[in-house]
Amino acid sequence: MDQITDEERKQILESPPVGTFALMTTVIGGMVVAWLFLYYGIFLPRG
Amino acid sequence: MNDAAERKLAISHMWVAFAAFIVACLLGEYQVIERSGFFPALDSNSVYFASVSTHGVLMAFVLTTFFIMGFGYYIATTTLKQPVWNKQLAWIGFWVALTGVVLAAIPLLTGKASVLYTFYPPIVAHASFYIGATLLVVGSWVWCVIMLVMFSQWKKANPGQAVPLAMFATAANAMLWLWTSAGVALEVLFQLIPLSLGWIDTIDPGLARTLFAWTLHPIVYFWLIPAYTAYYVFVPKQAGGYLFSEEMARLAFIVLAVFALPIGFHHLYMDPEQAKGWKLLHAIGTFVVALPTLVTGFTVIASLEIAGRLRGGKGLFGWIGKLPWTNPMTLAVILSLLMLIFGGFGGIVNASYAMNAMVHNTAWVSGHFHLIFAGTTIIMYFAIAYYLWPLLVGKPLFSRTMALVQLWTWFIGMTILTTPWHVLGLLGQPRRISSVVYNNLLTLSWKPYELMMIFGGLILLGSACALIYNLVKTQLAPTTENFSEQIEFAEPLRPVTALPEHLNDLKLWNKIIAVLMAISFGYPILQFFFMETFGSNGWGY
Repeated sequence: MDQITDEERKQILESPPVGTFALMTTVIGGMVVAWLFLYYGIFLPRG
Repeated sequence: MNDAAERKLAISHMWVAFAAFIVACLLGEYQVIERSGFFPALDSNSVYFASVSTHGVLMAFVLTTFFIMGFGYYIATTTLKQPVWNKQLAWIGFWVALTGVVLAAIPLLTGKASVLYTFYPPIVAHASFYIGATLLVVGSWVWCVIMLVMFSQWKKANPGQAVPLAMFATAANAMLWLWTSAGVALEVLFQLIPLSLGWIDTIDPGLARTLFAWTLHPIVYFWLIPAYTAYYVFVPKQAGGYLFSEEMARLAFIVLAVFALPIGFHHLYMDPEQAKGWKLLHAIGTFVVALPTLVTGFTVIASLEIAGRLRGGKGLFGWIGKLPWTNPMTLAVILSLLMLIFGGFGGIVNASYAMNAMVHNTAWVSGHFHLIFAGTTIIMYFAIAYYLWPLLVGKPLFSRTMALVQLWTWFIGMTILTTPWHVLGLLGQPRRISSVVYNNLLTLSWKPYELMMIFGGLILLGSACALIYNLVKTQLAPTTENFSEQIEFAEPLRPVTALPEHLNDLKLWNKIIAVLMAISFGYPILQFFFMETFGSNGWGY
């Protein structure tokens, strides 16, 4: 565990969770792509 | 506060839960071996269905109910800092529930209750099975009453103060379970027990399936809420950070409790007894209930991000590597969320009204609920056990390394088990089959996946044994004088000062549930009494 300064600590606690936004966007985007793949790639071709 | 009596109460419940769990794991491995057809000597329809029924009941009803009750008692006493209300009643609830388990186990193990854990009529079991299941539920209702009484008493004694988050979630779960279990209770009391005792000659499967659909979806959230509670109240602290938002956590629990209930018809998309408009209404509700899971995912990951950055993590994703991966609670939540992503995706496919036809009653469904239940949920039960066991027995955990290995192997085993299961579903393998009695190119293509599932099941069985061994060794270790660990709850990033009353109370939400249930289940149930329907004879053992 790295040491951080009080200033860095304050900044972390007051910053928006940008990594979480990026991660959630990636996950939701992946789910949409996977759903579309199943719908158009498997479900519809099966009639 | 001397909480020795509460600790005994909690650990007694949890031991019943984990005893059921290890037996169910053994049966699960037998089932994947039998179903594969690789060992003809094991082929037996009757043994298979007795096993799969016992496995389902032990995992879905016994492990969960006893674990949730034990966890709830300990959460109530540690968060509210007061003894469990009416401990004698709590023990009565425990013994009633345990008696129910024994009563149900006898017909299950003797092949007289091979009705699966969904016990859909017209298959019928020995009356002892239904009476046992009823006693288990009655025992759990005792727990609900105690949790809600403690919640109300504390609120009355501390006006204007926020109920501790863990207790708020536990009380919401108790309220949810009272509503949830009412559907199956009606089915068992007015349909299945009379049929199994010969008081009535026929049963209406449509009504029975509608009542079970009332229970079948929210029960998943009854199982899941303790896992989400650990996400919110233990994980941020264990990871070295803060809970990103307590208000969002409370909102998530409320939306879960409210919208988990009126949506069960997504289990009946292919059933003829309900009209498509009702199914569509429930389908929309099903997508609404995905929202609190997204909120939970966001809040928990944001809490982990804070922890990772406080530990020196930089950049967009650099904080992930800085998390304390050797902390069982932190590791478990990461693995749990990973399984939730894939399990949640499977759930969205199931809920998609049209596309459900592609996976309905296939192996995909079994893969999905194992990933959500045995993966996402149960791995958090393990993490809770690793965290609470030392506190409950007053001794350090026997082996933290073994706990970490156990969590990893459970994740790997579950991935190896459920991925082929999903593929098998897309390849057309039905669920609830004990064997394939014909060979063609399609069924032969299933074989490699069956083999993988046996391997995955073996890893899971080994992992389950490691869990039990670790807990037993912890409990049997010599007492240490200097063990002084206390339960620690996460602090919110911004302290809760002024909380809207509706985020601190359940009365309004209870009324909203009543309205939503009347809308979504009122006519669909009443129609069976308005129109002419035809019953079916029961059949079974």
